[in-house]
Amino acid sequence: MMAQPVSAPGTHLPARAEPPRPRPAAAKAALLLAGAGLGAIIALGMADQPFSQLSAPGGELTFLGNLTALAGTYLALIMVLLISRIPAVERVLGQDGLVRWHKWLAPWPISLLIAHALLTTSGYAQAARTGAWHEAWAMLTQFPDVLLAAVGLGVMCAVGLVSIRAIRQRLSRETWWMIHLCMYLALALSFAHVIALGPSFVGHPLTRVVWSAFWAATAGLVLSYRFGLPVVRSLRHRLVVTEVRQEGPGVVSVICTGRALDALPVAGGQFFCWRFLARGLWWQAHPYSLSALPRPPYLRLTVKAVGGHSASLARLRPGTKVLVEGPYGAFTRQSRHHQRVLLVAGGIGVTALRSLLEDLPPSARPAVVLRVSRPEDLIFRDEIRDLAARRRGTVHEITGPRDSAVLDGPALSRLVPDLASRDVFVCGPQGFVASIVSVAKSLGVPDEAIHHEAFAL
Amino acid sequence: MKRAAWYVVTGAVTGFLSLLGLHAVTAAPDAVPAAAGSGEGSGISPVQPAGSTSPSETETAVSGGQGSSRGKGPGSASGPARQAAGAVESYGYGELAVTVTVKGADITSVAVPVLRVNDPPSAQIASYALPQLKAEVLAVNSARIHAISGATYTSDAYAASLQSALDKLHLL
Repeated sequence: MMAQPVSAPGTHLPARAEPPRPRPAAAKAALLLAGAGLGAIIALGMADQPFSQLSAPGGELTFLGNLTALAGTYLALIMVLLISRIPAVERVLGQDGLVRWHKWLAPWPISLLIAHALLTTSGYAQAARTGAWHEAWAMLTQFPDVLLAAVGLGVMCAVGLVSIRAIRQRLSRETWWMIHLCMYLALALSFAHVIALGPSFVGHPLTRVVWSAFWAATAGLVLSYRFGLPVVRSLRHRLVVTEVRQEGPGVVSVICTGRALDALPVAGGQFFCWRFLARGLWWQAHPYSLSALPRPPYLRLTVKAVGGHSASLARLRPGTKVLVEGPYGAFTRQSRHHQRVLLVAGGIGVTALRSLLEDLPPSARPAVVLRVSRPEDLIFRDEIRDLAARRRGTVHEITGPRDSAVLDGPALSRLVPDLASRDVFVCGPQGFVASIVSVAKSLGVPDEAIHHEAFAL
Repeated sequence: MKRAAWYVVTGAVTGFLSLLGLHAVTAAPDAVPAAAGSGEGSGISPVQPAGSTSPSETETAVSGGQGSSRGKGPGSASGPARQAAGAVESYGYGELAVTVTVKGADITSVAVPVLRVNDPPSAQIASYALPQLKAEVLAVNSARIHAISGATYTSDAYAASLQSALDKLHLL
């Protein structure tokens, strides 16, 4: 049976679980807490430090080595927390935003921890009045747990190295991902030597307890939300591919059926990470937006073939089991600051906006702008026109190659005169999204009223 | 989220000041002899010989003249030699106990029969600190010595153990 995502008037829609409201206060509290931890750990490294000790041989180097260790490890744990998908935070900041911060922060803990290793070794070498290489050897072979920590640091450096764009481009996504996951191992290896040797911890039982509690909490959150919840959801809903449908050149929709989909708290505009249990695909989970609200028992995602994974979706066989992680994304109607909205779709970005449109109330009076290169790329054209009409909205289709019909400030304000009083949702390729976001800002739309999702690897 | 950086910075400043404040409130600066027993959990014990906080002090500042008089009465080196063992002082990185030999009212020798350290860096520190501490004790003839910089915990424990030994002998 074909899924009919567009409801006829009067059709009774099965009741769906209302997704929880995003609470900005939760995200603000998380940011305050993260900052407080950073400040406290730096203070910890500086307290307990009598100035006379600094002038001892190796004193300054050891002090700096301790400080970099504390800050670096703390930031490494924050990195883990950023991608732990804690729902209360993810709902407000969005998974793509959190991943962006994760990438931005990455060089810091790695650099600080490398500095820590060098500074501490040099400092101990000076205190012991030996050469640095000799001291390093002594530390690796005699000091408790230092060898483990050194291995951990090596793994961390490897993870950092392969994430450098020039190197990452040469690796397959699976290889890069497998190496990246080893970061958990690197952190685990480093824990013991901190407790055994760190001057802030030796002789300070309370500090040890708090530090261990922080690690335990981080591990708990990761196990629960990053790994546990997705497994529970997948087992509960048992998604299976039912049909693969061609929507346009290079674009397919995958219809899945599942159990108890009315209990899946999805908002229009959100995405899942999809793991199709087929040969060659089972070890990868890729993010794709839903292109319609769940219509129990059906889910629809629509994908354009741009890479190996997306291209192989066209060949999925019905009956293939699917595991999902999500729903994720702050690209929802609940993030609005105004009632009215402007939806701007570039190319395949129309998929996320199609499900968002379906979720909007009539008071949103949506203005929809579809920007594509060729007319045949206008997928879901009828569905969108129908949904917009029901909400007394307007649809503008702009077709043409990239350099013609550019959506700049004047063009956009001609199409949508009341732009400054609308929330702007823009989705599509990265360059397109960036350009529309800056145009919207220049036309007076406040930052918090601009929502974007850029499709990128 | 806009202005996310402000929340982080605000949190950082608050956390930094709070921890320093908490630390100042809970830690009591101790003079070296009274730094005593625990070495654990008592937070900081900044290196404090009686009355002196000069940050430029480094190694054994033996030339007296600082702080109170290292008192004892007109000492005579005559009289029977007496010995006493001080309490085992645990100082986080290990534990030690000293044995003091006294003739009359003068300390003639200090030995460290008990020395257990947890890790090689502490062993290295102990190896250069203990001889200096002994020299200083002999020079000032009491347990009120300057700590060796870079060996604060070791010095505290050494002085505490020595003091407990001297107490047994009813000496200053």
